[in-house]
Amino acid sequence: MNRRVFLKILGMSTISYHWLLRDLSAAEMPAVAVATGTDFARLTGKAISLLGGIGRFVRPGATVVVKPNMGWDRSAAQGANTHPLVVRGVVEECLRAGARKVKVFDRTCNDERRCYVNSGIEPALRGMKNVELKHIEEERYKKVTLNGKALKEWELYDEAWTADVYINVPVAKNHGLTKLTLGMKNVMGIMGGNRGIIHKNIDTALADINAVFRPHLTIIDATRILMAHGPQGGDPRDVRVLNKVIASTDIVAADAYATTLFGMKPDEIAVTVAAYKRGLGEMDLKKIRLLKG
Amino acid sequence: MKKVTSARISQLLFLILFLILFLMTEYRGSDRIGVAVNSFFRADPLTAVSTLLAVKGWVPLLLPGLLLIAFTALLGRFFCGWICPLGTILDLVTGKIRKTAPLHWLKGNLKYWLLLPLLVASLFNLNLAGLLDPIAILVRALTFFVHPLIGETARSGWVGLYHIVGDRRDFLDPGYRLLKEYLLPFRETLYPLAFLSAIIFIAVIWLERYETRNWCRNLCPLGTLLGLVARFSPFSRKPVSLCPDCRFCVDLCPTSFDRDILQKEECILCMECQLHCPNMRVSFRPSGFSIANGRPVMERRVFIGGLVGGFLIARLFRFRDPSLQTRLLRPPGVRIETEFLEKCVRCGECMKVCLRSALYPAFSQAGIEGLYTPLLMPRLGYCEYNCTLCGQVCPSGAIPDLPPEQKKLEVIGKAVFDKNNCIPFAKRMDCIVCEEHCPIPQKAIRVEKVAMTTSTGQQVKVRLPYVVDELCNGCGICENVCPLEGKSGIEVFAIKDKTPLNETYPG
Repeated sequence: MNRRVFLKILGMSTISYHWLLRDLSAAEMPAVAVATGTDFARLTGKAISLLGGIGRFVRPGATVVVKPNMGWDRSAAQGANTHPLVVRGVVEECLRAGARKVKVFDRTCNDERRCYVNSGIEPALRGMKNVELKHIEEERYKKVTLNGKALKEWELYDEAWTADVYINVPVAKNHGLTKLTLGMKNVMGIMGGNRGIIHKNIDTALADINAVFRPHLTIIDATRILMAHGPQGGDPRDVRVLNKVIASTDIVAADAYATTLFGMKPDEIAVTVAAYKRGLGEMDLKKIRLLKG
Repeated sequence: MKKVTSARISQLLFLILFLILFLMTEYRGSDRIGVAVNSFFRADPLTAVSTLLAVKGWVPLLLPGLLLIAFTALLGRFFCGWICPLGTILDLVTGKIRKTAPLHWLKGNLKYWLLLPLLVASLFNLNLAGLLDPIAILVRALTFFVHPLIGETARSGWVGLYHIVGDRRDFLDPGYRLLKEYLLPFRETLYPLAFLSAIIFIAVIWLERYETRNWCRNLCPLGTLLGLVARFSPFSRKPVSLCPDCRFCVDLCPTSFDRDILQKEECILCMECQLHCPNMRVSFRPSGFSIANGRPVMERRVFIGGLVGGFLIARLFRFRDPSLQTRLLRPPGVRIETEFLEKCVRCGECMKVCLRSALYPAFSQAGIEGLYTPLLMPRLGYCEYNCTLCGQVCPSGAIPDLPPEQKKLEVIGKAVFDKNNCIPFAKRMDCIVCEEHCPIPQKAIRVEKVAMTTSTGQQVKVRLPYVVDELCNGCGICENVCPLEGKSGIEVFAIKDKTPLNETYPG
C-alpha cells in the first residue's frame, strides 16, 4: 500500500464512519409529537407531555425564552402569527415547571406595538406573573461568530443566548421564497442587522444560524396554516384549520413533519434539506418516531 | 409667577391638558385614538377661518373654532389670557427675562400685515395659517424638536447604562418602561425642519426681552384675529383709560396699556389690573355694544396691501421642481393636491402620530407653498396597512378619517422596480423581501421564475418580482425593507390619478 492508497482508504473510511454514526444514532430516532384538538392551550401542553413533559427542559428557577412568530400586524385567525393560545400554553407549562422568568419577544416586520397587540399574544399574556413581553432593544444584539458557509458572523439577540431554555414556537405557513416557513426560519427572529440580505442565499444562511444557535425545543403551531400568500396572508380563504400542534427537540424533524401538512415532501424544502445535510437533524420521515395524541 | 388668579389656574390647567393631549397623540394599543391634541386645533379660530376661506364651504370639524369666535365677540380675547398654551409658556418664563425697551417697528400695523395676507392667501386656495398659528408653532416645536430630543437623550442614557451594567439594568426596567409608555416618544425620529421649528419657538420667547407678551400683542395672527372680533364685545373694563392719579395699570397690564386708553383688541382679560388696583376702581362688566373706541381697525392702505399681499403669496410660491414632484407622496386618503393645500393647516399632528415615522414635513419638495405639509418618505418609514391614525388626528380633514377597510384601498403612489438595482435583476440572485412584506392579501408584488445564467456559468431559476399596479396602494413597505444599502431596488412614485383600488380585482 502506497501513501496515496492509504490516504484514499482513510478518506473513504471517514465517510463510512459518518454513516456508521448515523446508523448508531438511528437506534434513538428523533421523536416528533403531534397533538390534535381544539383547545389550543391544552393541546400545546399535550404535545409537550408526549415528549416527556416540560420538566425535561425547564428546571425550577430557569429563565426561559419563548419565541413565537408575531412579526405581522395580523389577527390570530389570519394565520400569519403563532396562535396566542399556543403561546399561552407554552408559557403556562414553563411556569408550571417552576421557571423563574419567561421572556416572550420577536423582532417584528410591521410596527412592533401593533404586532404584539393584534397578534393576540400581548392580550393573551396580560397579567401573567413572571412573564415578560418586551419589544426588541437594539443594544442587546451581540456579534456572534458563525463561521458558516454563507454567514461568517451576525448579530444575535443576547436574551436568546443567555436564557437557560430557548423554546422556538413558529407558526406553519406558506412563504414566497422558501415555500414554507417553519421552525428553522423562525430563528431569524433573533437576528439583528439587515437580515433581509440573507434572502440571497437563505438555505445556507439559515443552516449557518441554526448550526450555532440550537433551540432546546421547537413547537410548531399548525392549529391553522396559511396555504398561500405567506408569510403575511390576510385573505381568510388562504387559511386552513388543522387543530394540530407539533413538538420536537429535533428542529429539522419537526419541520419535516410539518411540511407534510401542506401536502409536500420534506425534500422539497431547500431550507430543510440544507439543515439535514449539515447534520442539524433528521428529515427522513421513516427515521422519525411519531408520537400522536 | 405672580399671584394665583383664576386666569392663572385656567392657563395652567389648559397647558397641562395640552401637554397630556400631545403625549396621547400616539398609538397606545387601540386602533382609534380617543382624544388627541387636535382638540386644540379644532377649537382654533385662525385655522378654522382660514380653512373655511380656502374650502369656501362648510367643514363640520371646524365648528368649535367658530364657537370660540362667537364667545370672543361676547367676552373679548379671553383665549389668549386663559387658554392659549403658548401664551401660558410666555407668562411662565417672562419673569426670568430682563426687559429692554419695546421694539417700535413691531408696533402698529405689522400684525395686520401678517394676518390679512394669510387669510387672503386662503381665499386663493393656499392655507398658510398654521405657519404662524401659536398652537401649531408649539406643536411643531414639540414634535420635531423637543420630544425627539428628550427621547433620544433618555434612550442613549438607557443604552449607555446597558453597556456599563449589562443585564443588571433589568432592575430599573419597570421604571424606564413607565417613562417610555407615558412620556417619551416611541421612536426618536430625526425630522427635517427641526431646526426651523425650534428657532421659531425660541424666537417667540426671545421677543419677551423687549416687552411682555410681545408675540401676542404685536405679531400673533390668531390673537390679532381674536382682537378684531373682541372689538365687538359688550364686556369691557372700567375705567377705559388710565386714571391720571395712579397709572399703576401700565405696570400691571401684560398687553394693552402701553397707551393711555385700554386697547380692547389687545386686552387678554387676565384681570391683573382689577386684582391689584390700589384704589379698587377697576371692574370688568357688560357695558352695551360699542365698537371699541370707534377707531378704524387699520388704515386703508394696510387693508388693501394685505389683500394684494395675500394674493401675491398665494401666487408667487407655486413653483415646484418636477424631479421632486415624482416623489411627493401624501398621506393615505389625500387624492387631490390642490384640495390638500386648501385644508392642510401644517400643524404637524399627522407626523406626530404616524406610528412608523413615515411622515415628514416638506421643506422644498412641495415648493415653498408646501412648507411644513406632510409627505411620506418610504425609505425612512412606510404607511402601516391597518393604521388610520393620521386621518383621525387631522384637525381640518385634509387627511380624511377613513375606516380601515377604505384606507387600505386609498392610493398613495405606485411602486416601481429599478432593474439596475434590484438584486434578482441586477445580481441574478433570489431576494423577494419586498414581496414578503407586501401587505395586500393578493400581493401587489408577485414573482415569476426565470431561467438565468450566473457569473459562474450555472443555470438557475431566479424569482423575478413585478408590481401589479391594480393592487398597489403605494404604502412603501417594499421600498422601506429593500435590503440594498442606499438606493432601494423598488421605489414608490407619485401618481396623479389616485382612484382607490378596486376590491374585486380578479388577479
